[in-house]
Amino acid sequence: MSALVRLRLAAFLRTGRALAPLLTVLVVLGVIYGGGEAQAAEAYGFSAALLFPVVAWQTQILFNVEPDTQRQLSTVAVRGLAREIAAGLLAALVPAVTLVAFALALPWLLGGITGPSVASGVVAGVWAHLLLVPPALLLGALASRAAVGNAARGLAVLTGCTVLAFVVGTKGSPVPWLAPPLLPTARATVDGLAPGALTLQTAVAAAWAAVALVGYVTLRRRNT
Amino acid sequence: MLRGVEASVAAGEAVAVVGRNGVGKSTLLKLAAGLLRPQRGAVRDRPPRIGYVPERFPADQPFTARRYLMGMAAVHGLAPADAARAVGEWAARLHFDGLLDHSLAELSKGSAQKVGLIQGLVHRPDLLILDEPWEGLDATTRMEIPMVVAEVLARGGRVLISDHLGEVSSLPDVRTWELADGVLSSPTVDAVECVIEVAVAAADVDAALADLRAAGHRVLGVRTPS
Repeated sequence: MSALVRLRLAAFLRTGRALAPLLTVLVVLGVIYGGGEAQAAEAYGFSAALLFPVVAWQTQILFNVEPDTQRQLSTVAVRGLAREIAAGLLAALVPAVTLVAFALALPWLLGGITGPSVASGVVAGVWAHLLLVPPALLLGALASRAAVGNAARGLAVLTGCTVLAFVVGTKGSPVPWLAPPLLPTARATVDGLAPGALTLQTAVAAAWAAVALVGYVTLRRRNT
Repeated sequence: MLRGVEASVAAGEAVAVVGRNGVGKSTLLKLAAGLLRPQRGAVRDRPPRIGYVPERFPADQPFTARRYLMGMAAVHGLAPADAARAVGEWAARLHFDGLLDHSLAELSKGSAQKVGLIQGLVHRPDLLILDEPWEGLDATTRMEIPMVVAEVLARGGRVLISDHLGEVSSLPDVRTWELADGVLSSPTVDAVECVIEVAVAAADVDAALADLRAAGHRVLGVRTPS
């Protein structure tokens, strides 16, 4: 399975399509940190929320790079759909984590972090970024051609879910659990990670990721 | 699309699935490969190592043929040295060694099809599934197919092959399944069609066609010199 992960990563990197999400992240981080120094928790909280659609988009690109017939060859080669699905998600995890590490490190290179409680802000920021990786990854998988059949439908899923996540995540929303907790996580990070908020947002993100995983696997099985 | 299909391929046996275009041959092969799940029933005792060669190899991938084949050999579980040896041997045998370092996207349809064949053979499959393997191949490589099939059978493997042009007649000891209207049957030898290529003087083409049709044969096509 690791050979398939490597092959898919190589395909993703060789097409050059990895550049688009990377450049987008640079722009996003430039907007966040370009105005001057910020509190670690505040900057990282919003960086995590804004990184969510980029990670999802990057995952969708990685999945869509592989032609449908090649996906079938890969499935036969790894002896089953479950291993093929796992290899795809693991392959997507590598650039996702790389993007997160880049987003966490860049403000230090730019001197964009300041404030009295840097250490706790960094811890909260790492939590926020890592929390949103699984749902972002699985949204990208759900929006891939392998799951929804064609690129247009995938784009609708990706943009629809992202917009929904921002809309239902606003303060006072009656249904914040309906989408990955982007803005609630950002707010929890800014507010200093109260244990209740930490547990709640972790649970919502995990639940959403679990539902998305079940959805993705179901769609893949239905398409075979 | 398929219903009531009950069939098995024994060790050391080759089966050709024949039928017209769109009748479900590729669907049956994908069921055998584990790429499709039957809505009812099951596919049982599928051998562990399967080589699947699709009708059209997806050449729009950002690799050279060598990098791709080495990658797929690794996915099949081969160590790098074994993968390099297997890829080299198959490339030489299919007269592809000169193209190994070419980009997949640059390959002609026939050359890309050879990549598809090699990726399905490098790991010595127990079940080789060939979906219209003759499509786009040059005459020399087409002649290799029966030998490849014979080798898989000789080591106790199974071969499942689809064909709508009657090329299966070149295969050794092949059993035929005919697919029509979603139903699979094993036709008698008399019902199996073969393709004979005949060269006729240009001036006699019309008369030859008329004679063949009058004798009850189907004329699949006429190739004229370009």
